[in-house]
Amino acid sequence: MTIEEVSSIKERFLKELEKEKDSEKKKKICKKFIEEDLSSVFCLIKNLKGGKRVLIGKETNDLRKLILGKMEQLKEKQKSTEEFLDVTFPVVATERGNIHPLTKLQKRCETIFSKMGFVVADGPELENEWYNFDALNFKADHPVREMQDTLFVRQKERNNLSSKEKLLMRTHTSPVQVRYMEKRKPPFRIIVPGRVFRNEATDSSHEINFYQLEGLMVGENVSVANFKAVIGFFFRELFEANVDIRLRPSYFPFTEPSFEVDVSCSICNKKGCSVCQKTGWIEIMGAGMVHPNVLESAKVDHEKFNGFAFGCGLDRIAMIEHKIDDIRLFYGGDIRFLKQF
Amino acid sequence: MRFSYNFLQSFFNEKIPPAEKLEELLMMHFFKVEDVEKNGGDTVLDIDILSSRAGDCLSHVGVAREIAAITGIKLKNTEIKFKENGEDINDKLMLNVKAACSRYMLKGINDVKIGESPQYIQKILKVCGINPINNIVDIANYVMLETGQPLHVFDSDKLEGEKIFVRYAKKREKIVTLDEKRYELQENILVISDEVSSVGIAGIKGGIVAEVDKNTKNIYLEAANFDPVTIRRGSYELKIRTEASLRFEHGISAELAEIAINKASFMISEIAKGSVMKGIIDYYPEKEEERNINFNINDVRKVLGEDVALKETEKILRSLGFKVQRNKGSFSTTVPYFRTDVLIKEDIIEEIGRIYGYDKIESQDPIKNIVPAEQSKGFLVANTAKDIWQSFGFYESYNYSFINEEVSLKFEKKKLIEMEKPVSLEFKYLRPSLIPGLLKNLLENKKNYEKINLFEIGSIFHKSEAGTKEEKMLSIISSANDFYQLKGKLNLFFQQMSIPNISYQQKGEKELFNKKRSAKIFAGKEDIGFIGEISEEVKKEMKLKENIVIAEINFERVIDMYKEIKEYEPILKFPALVRDLAVLVPKRTFYKDVFEKIKKEGGTLLKEVSLFDFYEGKEVPEGMKSFAFRLVFQAKNKTLSSEEINLVFEKIINTLEEVSEYKVRK
Repeated sequence: MTIEEVSSIKERFLKELEKEKDSEKKKKICKKFIEEDLSSVFCLIKNLKGGKRVLIGKETNDLRKLILGKMEQLKEKQKSTEEFLDVTFPVVATERGNIHPLTKLQKRCETIFSKMGFVVADGPELENEWYNFDALNFKADHPVREMQDTLFVRQKERNNLSSKEKLLMRTHTSPVQVRYMEKRKPPFRIIVPGRVFRNEATDSSHEINFYQLEGLMVGENVSVANFKAVIGFFFRELFEANVDIRLRPSYFPFTEPSFEVDVSCSICNKKGCSVCQKTGWIEIMGAGMVHPNVLESAKVDHEKFNGFAFGCGLDRIAMIEHKIDDIRLFYGGDIRFLKQF
Repeated sequence: MRFSYNFLQSFFNEKIPPAEKLEELLMMHFFKVEDVEKNGGDTVLDIDILSSRAGDCLSHVGVAREIAAITGIKLKNTEIKFKENGEDINDKLMLNVKAACSRYMLKGINDVKIGESPQYIQKILKVCGINPINNIVDIANYVMLETGQPLHVFDSDKLEGEKIFVRYAKKREKIVTLDEKRYELQENILVISDEVSSVGIAGIKGGIVAEVDKNTKNIYLEAANFDPVTIRRGSYELKIRTEASLRFEHGISAELAEIAINKASFMISEIAKGSVMKGIIDYYPEKEEERNINFNINDVRKVLGEDVALKETEKILRSLGFKVQRNKGSFSTTVPYFRTDVLIKEDIIEEIGRIYGYDKIESQDPIKNIVPAEQSKGFLVANTAKDIWQSFGFYESYNYSFINEEVSLKFEKKKLIEMEKPVSLEFKYLRPSLIPGLLKNLLENKKNYEKINLFEIGSIFHKSEAGTKEEKMLSIISSANDFYQLKGKLNLFFQQMSIPNISYQQKGEKELFNKKRSAKIFAGKEDIGFIGEISEEVKKEMKLKENIVIAEINFERVIDMYKEIKEYEPILKFPALVRDLAVLVPKRTFYKDVFEKIKKEGGTLLKEVSLFDFYEGKEVPEGMKSFAFRLVFQAKNKTLSSEEINLVFEKIINTLEEVSEYKVRK
C-alpha cells in the first residue's frame, strides 16, 4: 500500500466524474468510490504501521471528504433544479388606496416652487366681494361683478350690504394675495393652491368647482424678467422637459401689465398636435405685475415694493398630463379612475 | 370682433403684412386672433378684444393704430370736408338731456337720396357680420366699424314736435323697435323721445316710429355718449345686445362722437347726396380732460427688468398717439383721448413692454435675498393625513362643495347656506358635511367593487352666530371595516399625527347612525368628531345590505394639534416583569372603566396595560364577558423584585373585586 496508489484512485475518480454528464450517474460514481475503492483502502491501512499509516490515512480521509463534498454539491444542484415557483401565479393584492391626482399635482407644484423659496398660503373658499373684487381693482360697476358665472350666496336685502358683507364663492384664488399681504410685511413669495367656483353648466371641460394655483412674488425691484425666470423654471420642472414659455399681452384688472403665458407643447415639441390645437403652444396661465391699487388695498407701499402674480388651472394641467378628456372625472369619486394615478 | 383685412389696409398707403403674419404680430403685441378666414376677396381676422381696450379697439381705426405701432408703417391722413346749407339745426330743434348721458350730438341732413350703398361698404359690413339695409343706415354702421362710435339716424319728418329728450322711460312705457318687437320699459331704461313718444332705446336699439325707409328725405344723425352701466343693465334686462350696446357698455371717449358725426355727415353728403344743415346740437357739459402722465425710464426698467432705449421708448409712445416730451430719462406724456384705459404710469409701462416685445426681455433669476414667507400649516398637515389614509388602503375623493334639496332635508335647514341662482338645483346649498358626497361615491362604486374605502379632506359650510363658518373636515367611509376596525385605524392615525389622549364616548345623536354603534371622539376634553355605523333605516333607504362605517373629524383642530416633531421617550434599561389578569365583568361594562381602575391602582410602576384576550358567550357565565389583560411592570431606576410586583398586583385585584359584579379569575 503506497501513497501513490491513493493518488491514482483520486485521479481515476476525478477523470470518471468529469467524463460523466448525467448527475444521477455522477452520484453513483461517488457512491462506488466510497463503498468500493475507499473501503478496501481503509481495510489495507489497518495493517500499516507508524508514520506511513498516519500519512496514507490522512490522504485517504481527504479523498473521502472530497468525494462526499462532490456528492453534496450534486444533491444541492438537483434540489435547486427540482424547485419550482410559478411566478406568473395571480395574487390578490391588498388595496393600496390612492391620493387624488389633483392632490398629487398640488404637491408637485409645492415642491417645485419651494426650491425657489415660495411657501404655501391658504384662504377661504366662501369669500366676500371686497376680497374677491374690490381689493383686486374691479371697479364697483365692473361687468364681471354682475356676470352670471359668479356664484353668490343668497342673503337678505343684499343690496343694502357693504361689499365686505356680500358673500360669494371665490371665483379665483387671487383674494388670498390681499389676505396674505395685509397681515404681513414684504418680501413675499407664496403660492396658493385651492378650490374656486364658477356658476357654469358642467360639461367635459367645465365644472362648477375646480382648482387653481395662484402665485405671488412681491419685493423691491421684482420685474417681468424675474417672472420669466421663475415661471420658466416651474414649467420645465413640471413637464420634465425643456419647454419654452412666451408672454402675450392680456388684461386683468389686478395686474398691469398683464400677460397670457403660453408654454411650448412638450408632446409634439412645437410641431403642432391635437393637445396644442396645432399651434405648438398651450395657453396655460394668466399673469402680470401686481396692480398698484391691489398693493394699496393690502396696505403695501407700492412706491417701494412691486411684484408679479400668476394663476393657472390645475385641472387643465392634470388633464393634459394624464390625457384625461373629462374634467368631471375629478369630482366623481370613481375608484376605477382614482386608482390609476 | 370680426375685422376686415381690406378695411384695415385702407388706413395705410403702404402694404401691411399679410393676414397670417398680422395674426402672429397682433397676438404677440396686442390681443389674440381667434380665427383667420378668407371671405371673398377679403380676409376676416376675429380678434379677441379684451375689455380694457373695448373703448378704442372695437373699431378698425383702433386696430390700424396698433398695426402702425407694431410694424412702424405710417397711417395715412384722411381729410373730411363737406359743405353746409343755410338752415341751422338749432333753429329747428331743442334738446333736453335729463340723465345718464355725457354727450349728445345731432346733425341735420336734408334731401338725402335713399338707395343701396356702394359695394365696398356693403362688402365690409357683410364681412363684419352686419346686414346692409340702405345707404344711410349702412353709412352709420360703416362709420361705427371704423371709429367705434355707434351712430343712430332718425327720419326727422317722423318726429313729433320740436324737442328731443334724453330721459328715463316712464313706468310701463311701450316701444316698438326697428325689428318690430314690442317692449314694455321700466323706469331704469334710458330712451330718446320726441314730444309725444319715445323714438329709441338709448344706445341699444332705435324705434320703428322714426325709421329711415325708402321714402325718407330728411334725417337727424345722432352721436352720443351714454352711461355704460345704464346701457349694460338695460341691455341685460331687455335681453337686447347690439353692436351699439356692446360699445357703449364698455365706455368710449366722448370726444369720439364729434369725429364720427363729421365722418358720417361727410359720407352721407357724398354718397346719398344729402345737404348738411348748418350748425350742430352738442350737449357736452363737461369736456373730457386730457390726462398727463409722467415717468422715468428707471420706472420702466424696474418693472420690465429690461433696458429699453430712450429713443425707442419715445417712438413707441408716439406711434400709439401719445404726446411725448422728454428730458433725458424723464418723460411727460399726454394720453390720447381714445385711450380711456390709460390712467397710471404702469399702464404706460405696459404699452412700452408689449410693443417692444415681451419676447425680447431676457429672463433673469431673482437673486434678491430670499426671506421665506410664512407657511400655511394646513397643507402640510393635510398632505401627511392623506398619506396615512392612503397607507390604510383608502382612496382620496374630491366631491362638489354643494348639495341638492333632497340631501338638504337631512340637515338643519336654517343652518344651511343657500346659493343665489345656481345653474343647477344640484348646487342649491353649500355642503354642511362631507358625508353626503362620500355616501354617493360609495353607492356609485358598489357597481364595480365589493369593498370600498374612501376619504375626503375638504371645506364644509354653515351659518353661525358670526354669519357664516367654513371649516376643513376629514371624512372617512368604508364598507370594508366595521366600527372596531375603523376605530383602530383612527387611533393609528391620531398617533401618527401626534394627537394624544384620544377617547370615545357612546353618543348616537346623529340621525344617520345606529345609536348603539356610534361614538363621539375626544382629544382630551375636546369633541373633535365622531365615528359610527349607519342605521338600519338608512341602510334600507339606500338599499344597502352591508355595514357602512363612517367617521368625520374636524380637521381644523387636527391642524392645530398636529406636531411634526415628536419627543423621544427614553428606552428603559431595567428589565420588565409581566403579569396576566383575567376579569369577568357584566356584559354592559365599558372596557375603559375596567382599564382605568387597573391603571390607577398600578401607579407609576405599571408601564403598560393591554387587552390580549376577550371572551363572550359559551365559555363564560351568562350575562358576563371576560377581559384578559397583560400588565407590564417596569421601573426607571432599578430592577423590580417579584415581591414588589406581587404587592401592586394584589392591590389591583382587590380594587377590581370591590366591584361586586367583577370576578377576577385566578
